[in-house]
Amino acid sequence: MKPTSVLLADDHTLIRAGLRMVVDAQPDLTVVGEASDGREAVAMAGTLKPDVVVMDIGMPNLNGIEASRQIRAALPDTQVVMLSMHSDEGYVLRALKAGAKAYLLKDSAEADLARAIRAATAGKSFFSPAVGQVLLQDYMRKLERTGGEDSYELLSPREREILQLVAEGKSSKEIAHLLNLSVYTVETHRAKLMQKLSLRSVPEVILYAVRKGIIS
Amino acid sequence: MAATLNESAEAGARTEPTPPSSRLRWLFLCVSTLLLALLLVSGVLTVRFLSEMRTQELAAARALAERTRALSGLWLSIQSYDQAVQQFVAQTAADRDAEVRRRLDRLTLEIAADFDHYPSIRDSEEDALLNGMRHVFSQQRTLYIRILEAGPAQRRRRADSVLAEHLEPVQRQILDWSGKLQVWNGERLQHADRAIVTQFANLQGSLSRVLAIGFGSGLLLVLGSMAYIVRLDRQTRARYVELAQSRHALQQLSARLVDAQETERRAISRELHDEVGQSLGALLVDIGRLSTTLSGGPPEVKAQLDNLKSVAERTFQSVRNIALLLRPSMLDDLGLAAALEWQGREVSRHSEIEVSVESESIPEDLPDEHKIYIYRLVQEALNNAVRHSGARNAKVVAERAANSILVRITDDGRGFDPGRSRGMGILGMEERVKRLGGTLRVESQAGKGTTVTAELPIPAGGEA
Repeated sequence: MKPTSVLLADDHTLIRAGLRMVVDAQPDLTVVGEASDGREAVAMAGTLKPDVVVMDIGMPNLNGIEASRQIRAALPDTQVVMLSMHSDEGYVLRALKAGAKAYLLKDSAEADLARAIRAATAGKSFFSPAVGQVLLQDYMRKLERTGGEDSYELLSPREREILQLVAEGKSSKEIAHLLNLSVYTVETHRAKLMQKLSLRSVPEVILYAVRKGIIS
Repeated sequence: MAATLNESAEAGARTEPTPPSSRLRWLFLCVSTLLLALLLVSGVLTVRFLSEMRTQELAAARALAERTRALSGLWLSIQSYDQAVQQFVAQTAADRDAEVRRRLDRLTLEIAADFDHYPSIRDSEEDALLNGMRHVFSQQRTLYIRILEAGPAQRRRRADSVLAEHLEPVQRQILDWSGKLQVWNGERLQHADRAIVTQFANLQGSLSRVLAIGFGSGLLLVLGSMAYIVRLDRQTRARYVELAQSRHALQQLSARLVDAQETERRAISRELHDEVGQSLGALLVDIGRLSTTLSGGPPEVKAQLDNLKSVAERTFQSVRNIALLLRPSMLDDLGLAAALEWQGREVSRHSEIEVSVESESIPEDLPDEHKIYIYRLVQEALNNAVRHSGARNAKVVAERAANSILVRITDDGRGFDPGRSRGMGILGMEERVKRLGGTLRVESQAGKGTTVTAELPIPAGGEA
């Protein structure tokens, strides 16, 4: 089987070198190119058409978020693994909205990078464990201080099941097939759970799921 | 930095000399007081002098009238006496002698009384005139007494000669004397009039002098005051311009300071992130690879590697935090709205305040300067809330209005009196807002929380 092709985009040579060694150490992964800023990453992705782009968020010229958006728009089959120094939900949500499948913290990139790339290739989400922790802490603290109740308790078992599947990146059709339901029923459940949780988009559903530890 | 600036400004104000005008002011005050006193005194004196002159004039006229009346009374009495004497001489009936004599005696008494009624205040000349007249009359009387003693026949015989020789000259003499007295009286009135005229002329002279002096010194005073006012005006103008200039300079300086601070922070943050952060990142990747390579090795080495890794991770974290504090990379990575949300969550994480942020409608095409200043404004306001307010909740709203950006930070803390205490934090916010041509309003009341509102004009073009 052809190894998964990976494009590395980071403005720091040292980091790129380290990442390349990690990726190349895996027999099923191979680095096909290195870009040193966002614009270069978009250009190289256009020509190389890699399976996965490992993208640093903070880059000169064009940042990782914007570069991901452009790559995902041009190449729907290319997945993005976002690398970031921040576990804040602002970053995570924007990375997800830009089309990233996986979100890795740089200080733990080495341990999780291979898994993240494989998950992304399979169309699944992946997050550094620390991200979920931070998001959950923020969420719990807010609930505690504002005296709100955890809306997750409002969900029915079926809705929780569908929430997890949506967060994992499955389409309504796939979920209907998996659960042996009609697409219409799945869509209804989906709309209802999003309304209960005040979520407006799939990235927000994924973020919520990460926060609650439903996916990682 | 700004505190030092304030102090030096105060020191400058302390050493500045006070204008040396107070002596001149006292001089002006004295001169005007003197001038007013002069006018007042001369006015009072003039009025008194005029009334005195009027009294004198009245006295002179009254004296003349009194004397004229007395004199004419006297003269009439003497005339009647003379007529009586003439009748007596001319009549021959002896039986009426006694009656005529009684009448003459009565007239004599009347004349004496008239002499006594003449005004008693007299000078020597007048006295002499009056005495001369009295003397002539007494001569006349001795003459008449002789005639009266004569019998009717003798009288008829000598009547014509007596009348011609004695009576007529004496009568003329009396007339003379009384005429002299009359003339003298007239002259005295003239004297008095002349004296009044002279006095009046004197008064006129001194009044003119006083007026001239008053006018002269008044003119001097006015000219001096005008010159003084002009000088003061010029000084005020100069000082105003100076003040405006120095304020402008100060404003520019503080704006430059704010800019310089931001540039510096950015440079240091960039340096930390690029050099230290990336080296540490690379180190972490290498350590990770090393521990994978050595996974089957001795446990001491693995423990040491783990230790090494956690130290590197901690260092990496703190470098990242310092860099973030200096320059929030989300501004560059995610934009202003995300950076404000992040800021709110950061404050929530590290303080007792739960911050909610509404910033979706803020335009992202703002110049970098606007972004960083709005970010710093929110940061400073939240910092103040954390440090002083004891609030439980804070809300940040950043939104686009018609032609401006509104940033409002509200907390439910204990509040303060914004008129009294304006800390460096508020000064810094004001400076940044002013730099962008906006306005800052701080509303607070003890126990009612604090609201900081900044309104910033949206820059034309929107390029950095």
